[in-house]
Amino acid sequence: MTTATASPLLEAHGLTKRYGDTLALDTLHLSVGAGEVYCLLGANGAGKSTTISCFLDFVRPDAGSAMIGGTVVAQDPIGTKRRLAYIPETVMLYGNLSALENLEYFATLATGGRPVRAELAQHLRTAGLTDAQLEQRVGGFSKGMRQKVGIAIALAKGADVLLLDEPTSGLDPKASNEFHRLLGLMRDRGAAVLMATHDLFRAKESGTRIGIMKAGRKVAELRADEIGHADLEQLYLTHMHD
Amino acid sequence: MLRTIASKEYRELLRDGRFRWAGSIVAGLLLVAGLAGFTAWREQAAQRDAAQATMQATWFNQPSKNPHSAAHYGLWAFKPQMTLAFVDRGVDPYTGTASWLEAHRMNEFRFRPAMDATAAQRFGEWTAAGVLQQLIPLLIILLGFSAFAGERERGTLRQLASLGVPTATLLRGKALGVTAALAVLCVPAAVLGTVVVTMSSGASGLLRLGALSAVYLAYFGVILTVTLVVSARARSARAALVTLLALWAANGLLVPRVAADVAQAAFPTPTAREFQAQVQRGLATGIDGHSPSGARADALRDSVLRANGVSSVASLPFNYDGFSMQRGEEHANEVYAHYFGQLWDRFGQQDRAQLVGAVVAPVIAVRFLSMGIAGTDFGQHRAFAEQAEAYRQEFNRVMNNEIRDRARADESFSYQADSTLWRSIPAFTYEAPSLGRALATHTVSLVALGAWLVLAALLVGRERRIEVA
Repeated sequence: MTTATASPLLEAHGLTKRYGDTLALDTLHLSVGAGEVYCLLGANGAGKSTTISCFLDFVRPDAGSAMIGGTVVAQDPIGTKRRLAYIPETVMLYGNLSALENLEYFATLATGGRPVRAELAQHLRTAGLTDAQLEQRVGGFSKGMRQKVGIAIALAKGADVLLLDEPTSGLDPKASNEFHRLLGLMRDRGAAVLMATHDLFRAKESGTRIGIMKAGRKVAELRADEIGHADLEQLYLTHMHD
Repeated sequence: MLRTIASKEYRELLRDGRFRWAGSIVAGLLLVAGLAGFTAWREQAAQRDAAQATMQATWFNQPSKNPHSAAHYGLWAFKPQMTLAFVDRGVDPYTGTASWLEAHRMNEFRFRPAMDATAAQRFGEWTAAGVLQQLIPLLIILLGFSAFAGERERGTLRQLASLGVPTATLLRGKALGVTAALAVLCVPAAVLGTVVVTMSSGASGLLRLGALSAVYLAYFGVILTVTLVVSARARSARAALVTLLALWAANGLLVPRVAADVAQAAFPTPTAREFQAQVQRGLATGIDGHSPSGARADALRDSVLRANGVSSVASLPFNYDGFSMQRGEEHANEVYAHYFGQLWDRFGQQDRAQLVGAVVAPVIAVRFLSMGIAGTDFGQHRAFAEQAEAYRQEFNRVMNNEIRDRARADESFSYQADSTLWRSIPAFTYEAPSLGRALATHTVSLVALGAWLVLAALLVGRERRIEVA
């Protein structure tokens, strides 16, 4: 496992976002270095997805800044997006196109070049699709298969930042396990990973650090290897019941 | 990148059954309207040529007769229609294209196709221009309304927006993709149109076809841009579709109708009956060539007798009836020029007033430009009517002067001229305004369409962020 480098690839400085009367993010600070998997835990509405949306420039913070590779996202949204890959709860693809056509489309747009088809096919295989599935239209793909295409997009893009928003929610245990194997692959290649999740077990298993969020605030942060599964669950529940 | 986005849009559209159905129907309608228009144009051209030849032979072969009788017998002027009239018939069905030219009277045009229209036709006749102005924009809306809104609903817009593709590039790429899909539908009709125009009117026709194509491409560009921008900003695909259909109805149906009504209210024109009464009143104040006892006729006769130092018209060195009929014609010409000029100026004012509507409905500017390029706008109808009237005045002048110079005083209406006189009248030829002159009369429409294009470009440039949810 690669250890985090000194200069973080993902940083949030006093990130604050308000939707009407609701404070979705309250002066959030965090940083994720290369080769590090930072898991954000929290109940629905805790601010996990809003944090990820700020890094994607889907949402502009009211105060503070989200930075990727030292660049403020709001100042260069196009440039910062070129470094990241995003895998939402369900990777949405073009149903009329095959897995390979989808990957070819997204990879071309992401890299601005013309990717080699054989390499794209290899990325899809690495992500776990069979040769027969490469040419199938994705309209009939399961959620797990779609997530694999999402991983292949990240691989093809050569992203050094991964933003994952509940990527294993709803996946069966086998598919979830497979997904986390691929996540480990990305981490070992030096990517900085920020993952919003409800899954305490996977956060402990795959994460380097864990942040617990509640009502837009980070209420706890700890290293994953310094806490056991039971203690993590206890800590999480304690914060949720406060 | 642009090509990748365009290619994917194009591929997806071609695989979409809705596109295949809607596109085939519109492309079919365009082809049918074009072919039907061209067939009608060719038949009318043949009928017009045959009628012109028959009329000319009849005129030349008149037996010896009094020139004034020949003037009453009259001639016909037929407006030759440019080939592109098969695309846009413009005002011709309402103004008519045949004018009977006779002594004393400047007639209104006859045999207007609109007068022969069946009840069903009065609900609207599909022409290629109608398809281009109404149905293609509708097709563009159907193809483009979900370009962004649909992707937002499906969730693919999130994926796309995370890639770092500039919004303007995405918009242009999608526009190119829809354009390519549209081209598949329109190119067959365009190729057919080019062949037909080349065979019928050569280079000049191609120049006009090029100008017409440029106008419609600009119009489609505006519609497509508005469609994509609405799609990018709408909360849902359904909201985008409803908004765009409302804009389509306003552009194609509502605003042109309101603009025409407002123009008529602001610059009212007399009814045909009122107009005829006005002209008759104008004529009654002067001489008409058949009223030698009228006060003006008496004054004219007295001044002519005085100027020639004689006491009776019989002593004049020329035939006084021929002379006075020509003076009557000249007075009537002034009356007709006055009232028709007023009426036509009013139509011009109405056209300009309607153009105000082009601020919100670009189709109004496109309609005027389309008619202008096809040679079927009101300006070119007026040009034809004025040339036909000049011809009528000239041939009446020749007939009257023949009596004045050759008939004795007692044979004004028994004097016989022969075919030498009839053949001295050259056949009427209409010189249509060049494309440049035709377009110069539509400068406001050109500016309006240009402004819409600039606005479209600005809209694309301003679209920096697209809401993904």
